[in-house]
Amino acid sequence: MNKKKWFAVVLAGMLALTALAGCSSKQETLNLYSWADNFDMDMIKQFESENNVKVNYAIFANNEELLAKLKAGGANYDLIQPSDYMVASMIKQDLLEPLDLNQIPNFQYAADRFKNPEFDPGNKYSITYTWGVTGIAYNKKYVKETPASWSDLWKEEYKGKVLLLDDNREIIGMALKKAGKSNSSQAEADIHAAADDLRKLVPSVLAFDTDNIKQKMIAEEGWIGTVWSGDAAVIAAENPDVAYVVPEEGGTIWSDNYAIPKGTKNKELAQKFINFMLDPENSAKNYESIGYSNPIVKAKEFHSKEYLDNPMINLSEDELKRTEWLIDVGKHLQLYDRLWTELKSGR
Amino acid sequence: MKRSFGIIAPVVLWLTVFLVVPMVAVIAVSFMQRDELGNVVYSFTLDNYARFFDPLYLGIYWDTLWLSVLTTAICLLLSYPLAYYISNASPNRQKLWLILITVPFWINFLIRTYAWVLLLRTQGVVNNALIDIGLIQEPLQMLYTKGAVLLGMVYTFIPYMVLPIYVALEQMDNRLLDAASDLGATRWKSFWHITLPQTKSGIMTGSVLVFITTAGMFVVTDILGGAKAQMLSNIIQNQFLGARDWPYGSALSVLFVLSSLIIIGLFNRALRSSYEASKEARV
Amino acid sequence: MKAAGKGKQHPLLAFHSALLILFIYVPVLMIVIYSFNDSRINSNWSGFTLKWYGSLFDNRQVMEALGNSLTIAVISTVVSTVFGTMAALALRRMASRKKKGVIGLLYLPIIVPDIIMGLSLLVLFSQFQVPLGKLTVIIAHITFSISYVYVIVSSRLANMGKQLEEAASDLGASPWQTFRFVTLPSIWPGVLAGAIMAFTLSIDDFMISFFVAGPNSTTLPIYIYGLVKRGISPEINALCTLMIIVSVALIVLAQWLLNRGNGNERSSMLPF
Repeated sequence: MNKKKWFAVVLAGMLALTALAGCSSKQETLNLYSWADNFDMDMIKQFESENNVKVNYAIFANNEELLAKLKAGGANYDLIQPSDYMVASMIKQDLLEPLDLNQIPNFQYAADRFKNPEFDPGNKYSITYTWGVTGIAYNKKYVKETPASWSDLWKEEYKGKVLLLDDNREIIGMALKKAGKSNSSQAEADIHAAADDLRKLVPSVLAFDTDNIKQKMIAEEGWIGTVWSGDAAVIAAENPDVAYVVPEEGGTIWSDNYAIPKGTKNKELAQKFINFMLDPENSAKNYESIGYSNPIVKAKEFHSKEYLDNPMINLSEDELKRTEWLIDVGKHLQLYDRLWTELKSGR
Repeated sequence: MKRSFGIIAPVVLWLTVFLVVPMVAVIAVSFMQRDELGNVVYSFTLDNYARFFDPLYLGIYWDTLWLSVLTTAICLLLSYPLAYYISNASPNRQKLWLILITVPFWINFLIRTYAWVLLLRTQGVVNNALIDIGLIQEPLQMLYTKGAVLLGMVYTFIPYMVLPIYVALEQMDNRLLDAASDLGATRWKSFWHITLPQTKSGIMTGSVLVFITTAGMFVVTDILGGAKAQMLSNIIQNQFLGARDWPYGSALSVLFVLSSLIIIGLFNRALRSSYEASKEARV
Repeated sequence: MKAAGKGKQHPLLAFHSALLILFIYVPVLMIVIYSFNDSRINSNWSGFTLKWYGSLFDNRQVMEALGNSLTIAVISTVVSTVFGTMAALALRRMASRKKKGVIGLLYLPIIVPDIIMGLSLLVLFSQFQVPLGKLTVIIAHITFSISYVYVIVSSRLANMGKQLEEAASDLGASPWQTFRFVTLPSIWPGVLAGAIMAFTLSIDDFMISFFVAGPNSTTLPIYIYGLVKRGISPEINALCTLMIIVSVALIVLAQWLLNRGNGNERSSMLPF
């Protein structure tokens, strides 16, 4: 009897505690779901005080987790930040709410490259937040000859010091580009050929890594590798021996975007937030702080010289011409995944 | 009898609602198909199970088992003496030791694992120290190898082994040991014939915990193994996220759960028979 | 109870234990050292600073996440320790056929891969429109912690005879009295070890928490895993360092207070 009573007390206490925790102020809240540290917190504070709202900033670690969560029904978020290919699949799966561009007038200041992108024609569902290109980062101390082509990764002298992104689409896409094909090829013969080519590269690979590739380059564990331009900028700031090129065959361009999940109650507020962040002056403050590439052209006048002169944040027109978006490969994703599993496990 | 049912009922109810019901759904999904977008399509198939019996996935399964066995064995060898030492300390000291061992594991798992990267990398603490003493000339490549994965696993799961063994040792009836030493048994002999058999339940519990959780761990292989060795859990993870193939991921999970249950059953049978044997021996 | 009769510790054993503790603490030492590192990305050593300890307390997200993690860990540890201990006690008396099924059920949370448990719970909650938040995370944590507590407590019970409890009830003790004064004291180390394990699992869980967390229940592991993309800053190292110092200090303090008070009899009844 006694024990039961005790248990009831514990349970009641637990419920009371969670009720208390869930009971926040009546202020309007924007539930933002994004990558960690993706905004300058001062800008968020400014938005909160200007509009008398609260921004709830929850965090995901990769696109796939975001998708799995939305699909399973955890969609009480008002604003999310998926990458380009993920926007495309979310549109196909009817997970996104159309944007009302009239409510986001600052979008006019974005670079033309990010208006009407292939993954979301007419920007019906998404607006680019930041972007980058996959190229080769290398350490000049160990890599004497400036790499020009993806095939430089295959060179015997870098054996055991090559870093590759841990991402089937990026790396098989890279091998496809090397062979002069599209990085989103759906021709099975081409995909197999690319995998066979990669099989020769695997023995040279130190590690497959997407998130900590920066640390590995900074600490000179790896000498050469496939790295995103924005990450290369972070690496070069810490280790000046590291340089960056976009190989002659071209690389993959990617972006992280704003999008609004279907069924949100706060569409208005979410659009207000997007518009606030796209404001040229605000965006300059924000990107100076987080160090990513700013898609807003008009923000140039507010940026520091240091930021504008960084070749890894502001890529040249010439480099950008060689880039290609990854697009959804439909049922061939299974083939990409299987070949990738074979490659990584050395079978 | 009735009363014990009353005590267990809330637990069974809880686990049924929050575990069995969702698991039934997982089993159902494992017999379904997926469309091009990765949505689950409600039509029956056995393909997901057939796909597992492919040399690629069987090989990965074998690697997973092997790593789990190694991790369990090393954890046991390292942890038993420590648990023994703790259980022989004064009661107050015992609790201090237990906390001392577990506190580092309240630090986030990722942070702990990255600390190993700082230690083991080519310009890391260990390599620099070895070069400074003159033991080696060139830094050793310790990270992104199978050895580094094993080390990370052992490190992560030591408390899983120490705690149950300590619990069993603490309960030991010391009169038996006193009697044995009065009868002139050596320390080693009385350990082998009295202590070890009496702590079998702790050893088995620890081994099951380490074995199963090692097999389910995937981050260590990514961080310390450079994502070069794949575990079954990496593959399962990837089916739900990267490959967007929930039915296949579900089938792999069902197979994983079934094989783990069989292994636990075998452990338990071994435990019971050895327990009975030791009881007979005592009579 | 049985402090007497312990043999002297073998020096080799002491040496091994010291080495193992060293092994456990070497990475901790690295974490502490790197909390003073000037570089934000925390890769190479680039100079001594104390700034991360200052900025830590201004970091609203870290503080929120820490608060969430601690609330969730404490509640789920208490509930799962009660549940797990109840299960272990009840199963000892059950008929063996029923027992097998229940034991299988209790092992299930340990075996089921985290991602399956997280996703399937998320689907369950969204089917029944349970809003995601701290409550759902607590429910999930209780679900997996019960098993670990059960497993450890039951390994304690496996070798325990029933004679003492039978003697107590023969002498007229009520079931509650028997439990409180006979059973509980003898399984206490198991309960304590189970609770320690439940707390450790809860404070460190990422995968399951990620799926069942809502907009305002970001836990520390969710925040830290999210940081990986940009590089985990030394702020987190500073946080970990403080966590270690505070928990060790609390434990030592509790120990000292108890020793100063009543003798050993009392202290062996309390957790620390």
